[in-house]
Amino acid sequence: MPATTAAAEKLLLQMVDDYTTREISPEDMPMDAAGDFPAGFMQKLTDTGFLGIMLPQEFGGAGFGPEVTAAALNHIARGNASTAVTLEGHFKTIDQILKFGTPALQKQLLPSANDRIFAFSMTEASGGSNPMGISSTATREGDHWVITGDKIMITNGGLAQVYCVLVKTAPKELSVFVVDQDMPGFSFGKREDFIGLRGTPVGEIVMDHIVVDNDHLLGKLGDGGIIGDSAHDDARILMGAVLTGIMEHELKIATDYAKERKAGDKPLTELQVTHRKVADIAMRKETTKLLYQRAAQLKAAGQPYSEEAAMAKAHGSRAAVSAGDDTLQILAGYGYSREYPVEHLIRDARAMEIAEGTVEKMRSAIATAEFNK
Amino acid sequence: MKIVVCIKQVPETNDVTIDPVTHNLDRRGLAGVMNPFDKNAIELALHLKDTATDDVQVALLTMGPDDYAESLREGMAMGADEGYLLSDRAFAGADTLATGYVIAQALKKVGDADLILFGRQAVDADTGQVGPIVAEFLHQPQITYAASLRLSGKNEVTAERLLEDTKQTLVAQLPAVVSVRSELNTPRYPTPRNIQLSFEKPLTIWHHDDLDLDDSRLGQAGSPTIVTKVYAPKPVKRELTPLTGTPSEAASQLIKALKGRQLI
Amino acid sequence: MSKPELWVIAERRLDHIEPTTQQLITKAKHLAGDQFHTVAILFEATTDHLENELTAYGPDEIRVVRDDRFPTATDAEHADALEQLVKKYQPNSILFGATITGRSIAPRLQAKLQTGLTADCLDLRFDDETLVATKPSYGDNIMCEIICPDHRPQMATVRPNTFVAEAADGAAEVTTDTVTFHPVDRLQVKAAVPVVNTATTVGDASRVVALGRGAASEATIDTATKLAEKLGGRIGVSRPLTDQERFTHDDQIGQSGNTIHPELILNFGISGAVQYLVGMQDSQTIVAVNSDKDAPIFDVADYGYVGDAPAFMSALLAQFV
Ligand SMILES: Cc1cc2nc3c(=O)[nH]c(=O)nc-3n(C[C@H](O)[C@H](O)[C@H](O)COP(=O)(O)OP(=O)(O)OC[C@H]3O[C@@H](n4cnc5c(N)ncnc54)[C@H](O)[C@@H]3O)c2cc1C
Ligand SMILES: Cc1cc2nc3c(=O)[nH]c(=O)nc-3n(C[C@H](O)[C@H](O)[C@H](O)COP(=O)(O)OP(=O)(O)OC[C@H]3O[C@@H](n4cnc5c(N)ncnc54)[C@H](O)[C@@H]3O)c2cc1C
Ligand SMILES: Cc1cc2nc3c(=O)[nH]c(=O)nc-3n(C[C@H](O)[C@H](O)[C@H](O)COP(=O)(O)OP(=O)(O)OC[C@H]3O[C@@H](n4cnc5c(N)ncnc54)[C@H](O)[C@@H]3O)c2cc1C
Repeated sequence: MPATTAAAEKLLLQMVDDYTTREISPEDMPMDAAGDFPAGFMQKLTDTGFLGIMLPQEFGGAGFGPEVTAAALNHIARGNASTAVTLEGHFKTIDQILKFGTPALQKQLLPSANDRIFAFSMTEASGGSNPMGISSTATREGDHWVITGDKIMITNGGLAQVYCVLVKTAPKELSVFVVDQDMPGFSFGKREDFIGLRGTPVGEIVMDHIVVDNDHLLGKLGDGGIIGDSAHDDARILMGAVLTGIMEHELKIATDYAKERKAGDKPLTELQVTHRKVADIAMRKETTKLLYQRAAQLKAAGQPYSEEAAMAKAHGSRAAVSAGDDTLQILAGYGYSREYPVEHLIRDARAMEIAEGTVEKMRSAIATAEFNK
Repeated sequence: MKIVVCIKQVPETNDVTIDPVTHNLDRRGLAGVMNPFDKNAIELALHLKDTATDDVQVALLTMGPDDYAESLREGMAMGADEGYLLSDRAFAGADTLATGYVIAQALKKVGDADLILFGRQAVDADTGQVGPIVAEFLHQPQITYAASLRLSGKNEVTAERLLEDTKQTLVAQLPAVVSVRSELNTPRYPTPRNIQLSFEKPLTIWHHDDLDLDDSRLGQAGSPTIVTKVYAPKPVKRELTPLTGTPSEAASQLIKALKGRQLI
Repeated sequence: MSKPELWVIAERRLDHIEPTTQQLITKAKHLAGDQFHTVAILFEATTDHLENELTAYGPDEIRVVRDDRFPTATDAEHADALEQLVKKYQPNSILFGATITGRSIAPRLQAKLQTGLTADCLDLRFDDETLVATKPSYGDNIMCEIICPDHRPQMATVRPNTFVAEAADGAAEVTTDTVTFHPVDRLQVKAAVPVVNTATTVGDASRVVALGRGAASEATIDTATKLAEKLGGRIGVSRPLTDQERFTHDDQIGQSGNTIHPELILNFGISGAVQYLVGMQDSQTIVAVNSDKDAPIFDVADYGYVGDAPAFMSALLAQFV
């Protein structure tokens, strides 16, 4: 790695830490309580250039690579997982436009990704695990496509202005188009009232005869499955990073508390039962970190990373829930109280056993990859 | 208009410990970061650059080892135009007097600065002395601990300065030296893109021979002060003075004590 | 042979003497013993008599220099005047208060004299004629002793309220002297106005009245509000009180609230849980009132009263003039 790249990456993480400490962490509890981020929060994040961290410089972004981008989300998640997940949804979408969009589409859309949030939507009411079950369609009319359908549970749904949507272009053919909230026929639907990641808007979009040019197709007709899988792969690395951040937060709460709290006249740090819990939390954190860093490293090197990315998220999501559970137990009554952050960290982590592919689906992907070796 | 902001790099945390064997400060593994107060000075310079009608150039200057370049880059990522690094073994071990001397000589070489800005103090040594020393060496007026500053005319700035319980308003004809309080502003964050682009901005490194220097005034040799002992403070075990009697009696004992401490 | 001089530079605070000056005179007298001649250096206007606020602390000499430009003189002008006196008397050591003013003038003088200056000292002693100054650094986490062996004068700024001013017997000799005032026209003090109670948050306040579960009634809070006003401070609370409508998280002291370092904190009805203590134990003067004599808050307090918090608070307020 050139010396300037390493120096720039160091400065980036330093800035992210500083921003997280001062601007993001203080909003962690309020966001959970309010079920939203506070006014001005997203604007400031945007003005500070967070949306362009991994966007190539030719589109006005900073052009940081996959490893440091994941590390940046990891550092943000130490203070607040919701904000990190909002960026995760944005980055994985940009990644697909970079991989599958035509140069003309990239040039048209990507400069705006510095100040507009992008989202990727596959899930519909019929179910997220089975893409063939969707009913949204795109129909060709002359040299245009007309898109109709209803997408739910989209990370950043309602907040994002640009959406990659998975639709059927034939009964057995899945394709992905890019639509913009300014297009006639586009509207927002219901926002989910989820139990975790409550600072991440997750919502619905309704597409009623949206007309798009042919160049708004990502890849080729029928590439929908591939693009969807690719979006998952990219998202899972980042989620591994977010989960690691949650566990770092949990570990800090657990150790700080154990050092101060006395059981009788001994601090909790002298109890075997505490040792076991803290060691487990630390091991879960570290294994997840190694997994996501490994996947990011493979991605940066241009090698396959799908299986490793799935492992990072599959392992990390349960690990963070369990680590949260152990942390809660160390804090006991305080851990169970909504006044302290532990319980919401568990709820936050729990989302990642579902979003970007359920753990069941990931396990089957990992197992399939192993059978094919 | 040309503004030079002097910055220092400091350990990222103040949680330093003493090596029990050597009794030296154990700074191993402590990353360096820009002195946080210096960001307020940079922000002031950038604010003047953003709002002034004529062109404002902002340069950063630091004396220290080569890794201080990181802080120069950070400042350039915030928006400064260029950086100067004064780096030489001969500068090492300087106290504030010897530091001020090298900085003043370098500022003469940079030339034509209308405004020279300093942070209120470095968070490690906590002296706040370098700014006034440089001002004296350059024979310039100084406004220390400025709580606000604006351009109030051609070649003129107006600043407010908060003393313990007095607010002064000062007007200075430029050039002048100013050190700033942290309440002055909230420093901007360097954006990720500007972090990358900062590596394309000019960074000039000056060694000993690039400056006009009297060697007897450099580094350790040019430093009148010597640190003879470094130790961890004993935790202040407070001496509890009981207040006794009725609430009224106890209250009058307290008032007397607080008066003695000049707190009321 | 006359004794070497140990100087305290008197500082003006509006129309009075800055209290640190008096504290430094007391300390200088202790340091001097028979070895040094202690001198307070005072710059004032021709009609001023600020020396009257110094005599009670008993320096050997108060050397007054009068010029009507002194009250609004700038740092460089002060440093210039001091340099003239230093050249004339060659003092062994010079002490300044580490106030904004002291910390601004002292380094300028240091640069003129090409000598050493130790900042913000918490302790001073002499080894023979060498001043050993103890200063904190790294945010008070480390102490160092600093000397200036080969240059004179030795200089130090000393943190306010480090030493206690004590009246002393013996009439100080008041002498007058003159310097040439060299005005620096490029910098002018246009106005100086007193500022009172600028604290808007508990974190900014230099005096804090802290309330806990044992001092939480409406009436007690009202009394506390008046007390805080009298002190020029703010109310802060322990966590349980943030449940009350009139307090928010911003008022909370402690691990999950604000970490504060006021000059003075009065704790009423607060037990002193670790999470509370970490937020305030670095305050300069700590007072605790609690009905439980074993409450941990007393472990960090300078003054403690075991008894009813509301009653003590009312008594205290009543005695404030
Ligand atoms: C916080 C959050 C953010 C989200 N963001 C997005 C987004 O940005 N874009 C988007 O398109 N969607 C998003 N989703 C939706 C998410 O992708 C789906 O919830 C997920 O794919 C599962 O779909 P489902 O909820 O319909 O469950 P179903 O698919 O109905 O699954 C029900 C259960 O059956 C299991 N199951 C189903 N099929 C199989 C199978 N073949 N093998 C093994 N087990 C199976 C599942 O694992 C699950 O336990 C988000 C969800 C959450 C919670
Ligand atoms: C523990 C410790 C205690 C010390 N105590 C003293 C002491 O009492 N007296 C003394 O004379 N020396 C002291 N020193 C030495 C002093 O730290 C160095 O001289 C240092 O180079 C400058 O002083 P400062 O850190 O106090 O900076 P300050 O004077 O507090 O810094 C004020 C401003 O000056 C500028 N500045 C400071 N350093 C640089 C630099 N290297 N390059 C560019 N700009 C800069 C910045 O704008 C900064 O905000 C001490 C050093 C240590 C480690
Ligand atoms: C992770 C975590 C973070 C926390 N963060 C904070 C924090 O930031 N700040 C914070 O304050 N707490 C915090 N806490 C809570 C903390 O542990 C204590 O519960 C809290 O500080 C107790 O507040 P208190 O002293 O007002 O109440 P109590 O502990 O109930 O004490 C009340 C005191 O008032 C005395 N008293 C009662 N009546 C009278 C009377 N008439 N006159 C005089 N004395 C009387 C009693 O003797 C007792 O000592 C935190 C806890 C956790 C687990």
